[in-house]
Amino acid sequence: MVVDGVQSTEVVTPRDVAEFAAAMSSASAGRRATVISGGGSKLSWGRTPAHVDVVLSTARLDQLVAHRYGDLTATIEAGATLAEVNRQLARHGQWLPLDSAFPAATIGGIVATNDSGPLRHRFGTPRDLLIGVTLVLADGRVVKAGGTVVKNVAGYDLGRLVSGSFGTLAAIATATFKLSPLPATSGTVGIVYRERGALARDTQMLASNQFEFTSLDLQVTPGSAGPEYRLLVRVASGPSATDAQIAAVQRLVSAESQIISGRAERDLWRDHVAAPWMGGGTTVRLAWMPASLADVLTILERIGRETGTGVTLTGRAAVGAGLLRVDGSPDAAAAFIGRLRDDGTVGNVVVLRAPSAVKAAVDVWGTPGEAGPVMRAIKNALDPAGILNAGRGPI
Amino acid sequence: MHESVLAELRRVCGAEAVLHEPLQLLTYECDALPHLRETPAVVVLPQSAEQVQGIVRLCARENVPFVARGHGTGLSGGALPVAGGIVISLARLNRVLSVDIPNRRVVVEPGVTNLEITRQVAPFGYYYAPDPSSQQVCSIGGNVAENSGGAHCLKYGFTTHHVLEVEAVMPDGSLVRIGSSLPDTPGPDLLGLVIGSEGTLAVVTKVTVRILRKPEAVQTLLAAFNSIGAGGKAVSDIIGAGIIPAAVEMMDRLAIEAAEAAVHPNFPPADTILIVELDGPASEVQEMFGMVEAICRRAGATTIEIAQNDEQRMRIWKGRKAAFAAMGRMSPNYYVQDGVVPRTRLPEVLERIRALEQRSGLRIGNVFHAGDGNLHPLICYDQRIPGQADLAEEVAGEILTYCVEAGGSITGEHGVGADKREYMPRMFSDVDLDVMRAVRDAIDPKRLCNPGKVLPTPRLCGEVPGPYREHPIERAGLGERF
Repeated sequence: MVVDGVQSTEVVTPRDVAEFAAAMSSASAGRRATVISGGGSKLSWGRTPAHVDVVLSTARLDQLVAHRYGDLTATIEAGATLAEVNRQLARHGQWLPLDSAFPAATIGGIVATNDSGPLRHRFGTPRDLLIGVTLVLADGRVVKAGGTVVKNVAGYDLGRLVSGSFGTLAAIATATFKLSPLPATSGTVGIVYRERGALARDTQMLASNQFEFTSLDLQVTPGSAGPEYRLLVRVASGPSATDAQIAAVQRLVSAESQIISGRAERDLWRDHVAAPWMGGGTTVRLAWMPASLADVLTILERIGRETGTGVTLTGRAAVGAGLLRVDGSPDAAAAFIGRLRDDGTVGNVVVLRAPSAVKAAVDVWGTPGEAGPVMRAIKNALDPAGILNAGRGPI
Repeated sequence: MHESVLAELRRVCGAEAVLHEPLQLLTYECDALPHLRETPAVVVLPQSAEQVQGIVRLCARENVPFVARGHGTGLSGGALPVAGGIVISLARLNRVLSVDIPNRRVVVEPGVTNLEITRQVAPFGYYYAPDPSSQQVCSIGGNVAENSGGAHCLKYGFTTHHVLEVEAVMPDGSLVRIGSSLPDTPGPDLLGLVIGSEGTLAVVTKVTVRILRKPEAVQTLLAAFNSIGAGGKAVSDIIGAGIIPAAVEMMDRLAIEAAEAAVHPNFPPADTILIVELDGPASEVQEMFGMVEAICRRAGATTIEIAQNDEQRMRIWKGRKAAFAAMGRMSPNYYVQDGVVPRTRLPEVLERIRALEQRSGLRIGNVFHAGDGNLHPLICYDQRIPGQADLAEEVAGEILTYCVEAGGSITGEHGVGADKREYMPRMFSDVDLDVMRAVRDAIDPKRLCNPGKVLPTPRLCGEVPGPYREHPIERAGLGERF
């Protein structure tokens, strides 16, 4: 298997957790650089590895272990895809309200990267819904933390610890989540703006109102006559509550809006989530303070202009988190990222997917924070041989 | 404690901030779990993160164990001192550092109370969501340590869902920012590990929380049932209908009687009462509330009272939130448990608790967060009767076993602390606990940061855990408990 352009020596696809544990333990003993892979949809994220000895695949750990629908919880094996899990949960009118741009994305990969999308506005990121995990440590020990109940503070929260760890601390074998009831109806209001200031003002107005949106997303795309700005507001509730909130949004916003529902709404969100990944360019994760949105848009456009890159921003407008697709030559993309980090209007700039020339020019993770030494101490305790995602991950 | 350590503490924090006279130390012997007590060598009251750092550096250098303490409202002995150690009281780190309404963030020091955050932002129409019953007095630092929830966590989650960043002194004395006021800090969710670690990994000196807009509408109903089973059915049906209430609380007969006697909330005389609160946009609350009412009637509610205004709503909540203290009027002593069961297993576990009540002869009142299956059985006993305190502890342990057997947890929100650490092996294997210990040792290799909490340890000679026994100072009439 190829990991970010590097061919692995071996691929192991264990049939169960015990086999997985044995494979991990043997990789540890042999100090072999090990990459854990789910659907492979995010396998190119992170630093380019020097070499990869073993890819350990969760492909056969793909079962929905338990759907306790009366308790609104589910335990899922790491290799199950989010799409398949949600098909099964829907039988009892429930879902795991996370989104992924990739049909092959698995539960394990989504937790390990803490990847999220527009549903974050209402439901948070995977770590917010996670209530328990089973992990396989580098030495093959199988460890449980959390549990199957939504309220539980017994012991250390190792599930949250591995969220966002990019497979550097342990492999996720199963994850237990709290679920949500599927909403009865859904509708989206799309609003198009001529200028960024109006979009920022409306975002702030909607975010400080008393709505309960499912999503409040923004999209900025390069157009022929300058950037195009769009807000997408999704409401999903009971029929009359959905209608009432949609009507209120249309009444309050400052630009022309339209309602999108049914199949068109599903397609809209699918395309919206896929937009940061179209083409083969560089995709960057970034965060900002919600009230600074107008400044953020100004800076992105200016740096885009100055570096000769096309910039597409997709993000959670009220949360202050999004993905940026930077189209242009690798040099231009690298320059863009460098300028963006120096400017400081946005933060937590992480390069997710990028051509190797971009990764060679900028560190994908950026400067480690003050907590770096603490994270490394934990890494050394859990993976003393340093085999897990060696040289690729954030620690 | 060596005089040189005391001198150094006085130099770092000022002489008046260092307490070591026996009477001064009395207040700090326990938290709100008074049957676990220990006398620290010194209590220090720092006023800045730098002072906390100075204390912890000194502890690291001199190998002195230290315990951080907020306002002492914890119910698991999480702030129980270590004999010969230092208690770092964060009560004087109580400044609100920033209120940022446009970005919906508030930055506070750990000694600020939970409710103070809401007070600061209420004029702007905002609030801080986690609402433990002790919110008027409990500190945000303690909330971070315990990952506190509250009655409304069914819909809004716990402290871990509302804290964005902390500044903390690590056990080696380094001052670090964990998390970020911006979303998506790269790397493992260290903040998620620290929140709920019960003060065993770091001493938090600054907390950034997010605040929420006050809901447009709130509707509360109180339904009475003839049996716990009927009330439980109503809860299941509400959730089954796709409704996530802001809160769902149940009380049994003994708890109802206690609350009624204490604060007169005018609860109906019933076997079980259910409090259901919905909040959100007015249109949504209105649509769902009618469904909730119908479900309660179908499940056999004998009476349904709908709060018509804030005053009536506050009265219902006053009755619920006073239930713990009210038990104090019914029984000389009581022991609160905090186990969790999957919601669908509530009726069966409550049956087992009723049987245990009859078998043990101790009365057990039940007040619980029915929406998330978090039980708070209040085990009544009289410590003056020989053997009853031990029996109460035994009964409490038995209830935890029921919870674990039903697939639940030994603690939903009070924490493991010193109180329940010996029950951890009922939930976790030796390997699970070894790995948790390895994480702790990675951060605190000298084991000085709130030792003896969360993870089970072999009992040491002379260490007598268990129900409170009168302190020699009390016996001698030199002091009293507050």
